[in-house]
Amino acid sequence: MSERKAFSIDVGGLKSRPKQSDARTIAKTDKAGEKHGFIDREPKAKRGRKPSPRTGQVHAKVLPQVQAQIAAEARRRGTQQGVIIEDAWELYCEQHGITDED
Amino acid sequence: MPVVTIASPKGGAGKSTAAVILGTELAHAGAAVTMIDCDPNRSLTLWSDQGDIPPRIQVLSDVGESDLIKTVKQHDQDGSIVIIDLEGVASRLVSRAISQADLVITPMRGTTLDATIGVRALQLVAEEEEALDRSIPHAVVFTMTRNIRSKQHNGIEASLREQGVDIIDPSLIERAAFAALFEFGGDLRTIPPQGNMETAQANAQGFAEAVYARLRGEAGESAA
Ligand SMILES: Nc1ncnc2c1ncn2[C@@H]1O[C@H](COP(=O)(O)OP(=O)(O)OP(=O)(O)O)[C@@H](O)[C@H]1O
Ligand SMILES: [Mg+2]
Repeated sequence: MSERKAFSIDVGGLKSRPKQSDARTIAKTDKAGEKHGFIDREPKAKRGRKPSPRTGQVHAKVLPQVQAQIAAEARRRGTQQGVIIEDAWELYCEQHGITDED
Repeated sequence: MPVVTIASPKGGAGKSTAAVILGTELAHAGAAVTMIDCDPNRSLTLWSDQGDIPPRIQVLSDVGESDLIKTVKQHDQDGSIVIIDLEGVASRLVSRAISQADLVITPMRGTTLDATIGVRALQLVAEEEEALDRSIPHAVVFTMTRNIRSKQHNGIEASLREQGVDIIDPSLIERAAFAALFEFGGDLRTIPPQGNMETAQANAQGFAEAVYARLRGEAGESAA
């Protein structure tokens, strides 16, 4: 590795232009990119609470003391009232021999 | 100090390899080099974790859309040459990195598929030049080339030249030593010998010198 000429850098000779980074320039850049399919592909950090999988709704009017008891139990367990109803339904199914396939 | 953006939406085109070769050779030649790893797959970071980082090089990891421009600005002024390595996808991050570049390098294998997809980077540069009303110097480097070139490669190169695309000479040849940089970290002087190291080192230096000439505004301005 002797005959190769040494390579050394003179930093002073390097050219650099001022770079614009204002919002308008960025917007123009993004638009130019979008035209050619260079689009936003950043992983989106989920903001706030995840959507609940509990999208079903029951329409249940119950006696006031049952309502109060379900509410108190949910508060004690730190869950939604729907979870108490799901648990109750599970027990009901067990008692009556209802399975998923039914 | 100049910013070099290595960009191609084609995966596996040789971007990260070109970035490491360029960064280590420029640093060896005396420049301070900041390498910005914008790829969520973290190729540069993996390289830097593999062994001792050579003197004068720093690697910044996990830089995304929200902090790229700020990061470039910081290091643009601290006297180091900035090299940005990107993921092989067509993303907004790529177009932003191009907007901050003093030189865009698009590595490309001499195959039709690589050229077809790689050319999208060149089209994006042209679009940004128009949108931002300034020229953005850019060049193609062929990667993983062999001594005997295929007809396909020759055709692609001729067609790019015809269109006035600046092509960096020498191309990056296919060398076990280049792939080994990611296995051992460090540079071509510190990794255990792989094949003919002299050829690999001469090729790497030649490539870095050709880029350096462009950063001095001396060579390769494309016939625009
Ligand atoms: N000149 C070369 N000689 C030998 N192997 C090479 C060369 N260039 C790249 N490779 C190998 O080819 C593969 C892809 O290269 P590299 O990771 O540099 O591509 P990339 O464009 O950065 O990919 P990505 O789009 O996934 O970021 C790697 O395994 C690398 O080691
Ligand atoms: Mg890569």
